[in-house]
Amino acid sequence: MAAWTRGLLRLGEALLKGAPVTAYRTVASLERIPAVQCVRTIKTSTWWDEHLTEDNANVMRRAVAEEYKQLTVDRLNPLKDEPWPRHEWDEKSRRVGLVAVKLGMMPVWTKSGERHVVTMLQVQDCHVIKHIPKEEYNGRTAALIIGAKNSPPFYRTEESLEMFRNAGVPPKQKVTTFHVTDNAVIKPGTPLYAAHFRPGQYVDVTAKTIGKGFQGVMKRWGFSGQPASHGQTKTHRRPGSLGPGGDPAKVFKGKKMPGKMGNVFDTAFGLKVWRVNTKANILYINGSVPGHRNCLVKVRDTILPHRLEKNRNPPFPTFFADGDEELPEDLYDENMFQFGEPIPG
Amino acid sequence: MAVSSRRAGGVVGSVRLLRSLQHQDGRLFSTSVARHTAGSEGQPPKFVPPSKPVIIDKAKSQASLRQFLSPEFIPPRQRTNPVKFAMERKDMIQRRKILNIPEFYVGSVLEVTMLDPHAASKTNRFVGICIQRSGKGLGATFTLRNIVDGQGVEICYELYSPRMKHIEVLKLEKRLDDNLFYLRDALPEYSTFDFDMKPVHLSPTQDVPVNQIKVRMKPRPWSKRWERPKFNVQGIRFDQCLTPEQMEHAQKWAEPWRQYDMLKEYDTSSVEEKILQEVQAELNK
Repeated sequence: MAAWTRGLLRLGEALLKGAPVTAYRTVASLERIPAVQCVRTIKTSTWWDEHLTEDNANVMRRAVAEEYKQLTVDRLNPLKDEPWPRHEWDEKSRRVGLVAVKLGMMPVWTKSGERHVVTMLQVQDCHVIKHIPKEEYNGRTAALIIGAKNSPPFYRTEESLEMFRNAGVPPKQKVTTFHVTDNAVIKPGTPLYAAHFRPGQYVDVTAKTIGKGFQGVMKRWGFSGQPASHGQTKTHRRPGSLGPGGDPAKVFKGKKMPGKMGNVFDTAFGLKVWRVNTKANILYINGSVPGHRNCLVKVRDTILPHRLEKNRNPPFPTFFADGDEELPEDLYDENMFQFGEPIPG
Repeated sequence: MAVSSRRAGGVVGSVRLLRSLQHQDGRLFSTSVARHTAGSEGQPPKFVPPSKPVIIDKAKSQASLRQFLSPEFIPPRQRTNPVKFAMERKDMIQRRKILNIPEFYVGSVLEVTMLDPHAASKTNRFVGICIQRSGKGLGATFTLRNIVDGQGVEICYELYSPRMKHIEVLKLEKRLDDNLFYLRDALPEYSTFDFDMKPVHLSPTQDVPVNQIKVRMKPRPWSKRWERPKFNVQGIRFDQCLTPEQMEHAQKWAEPWRQYDMLKEYDTSSVEEKILQEVQAELNK
């Protein structure tokens, strides 16, 4: 839309200046096609559907979506060379994480009947896109680039698509980087599943929080404000004093003040995995996680030192669907009530 | 003669037997059959089996049964991935296979038995009128109200909690409203229910009756201004507690344009039908 507006503006300028060539072309095109048409002044690139009719563009969209779906289902990998060697897990190793879609929240109960709430995170088309070795990344740790949720290739540059083409996977809506140890690297093109995490283990979830806009100090920082009545004059939700007066004679840096709230990256640490659905690839994570519904979140093994005990011996470097490990549809934490169970007591 | 007397003795015995039967269930038997057998002379009494009653069990035919989908199955209107509701539905159906959750409405009288780890008997039984059904999916709840020892008691139960042991409908009926929170401000007789109440049977083919009762209220102030149009309460005798001027004044808060807001319309009938079929197919499996 922006591009169209720009085109129209430039056309307007050209007409004002009286550039004859452009004007003639406009008139000619108007004669041929009864619809309003503008002339693009940028000739270096085209829109992908610039010379397609609407039907053809739709056909393209559908065909590409189907192709990507097939590519994901078949886990088709054009790189037909050998799989990378797999290593054993040890205390120092750091695995890759996942990118998942936040579905919503629901309650779960423990076997003793206590109620907890969980957030459902669905892992959709999560693939390893690229491996950056230690030397190329920062000299200290290797990195894996992970992408999730297929998206159409239209409106993307060739350079941005190259990474996905090299890995043999469809372009992704969300791409993130994970720091991994050298023994945990995975070959690009490998799909990642929810079974990467197991019930009972603890994870950290990172996402962009819901934007709240410009907010006052009571909402943004939890200030108390002032009383509603008893002689208050235009002072109910104001910050009050900004600090001492004469001696510093300034407002200290970092003073909590009104401003834009939310829409920043936030991490919830040490959340327990209650349940994993291996068929629909859904993680049931304890409590709430940052971000709105349907937002893409980054899930990784927790870094909290007192939770590391629970994260021992995970599927390493990840869970492979073509491996010999057969999983039931639902994996439950040992303490969690399963709805098919008989009523206790 | 010996034969007849023996027969008469038999008849007397059978009459006594029938009387004793009659004592148990007066409607089923009468002694006229026995008199008829005694009166017929000549041939030995032939046993005529009574014609088998043809029982048309309307409950068996699925078409005439009441169709009911619990309201927590209907997904709320929001931009959530339908996968979420499908997953929850699967869990709900699994739980319903173990625990029978009957059909009930706001206004029905229920008996609920919960597991209570802190109680001496390990279970806790409560009887009351359902004043609210709330929540969607696995988080669905209902609230029961009763008056125990002159004190109003309301308990909010989770429908799918593993501590829920038994739910029984003692009286299946609806009321004029979908929310009976105004019973808090009504006279206590309207929310008092006997804990030893006998269940009232209602045929599964019959429509659920709507109780047209209108309650009398305690004197104002109430917990909420129930006369305001936003509550749209039908089940209160406003004529006894408010003057016509006050009722007129309450209309000041009316928002008559709301009914024309097409964005607020949410027709669930097609979704409901689809989910009902799915749930029934899964439960009958």
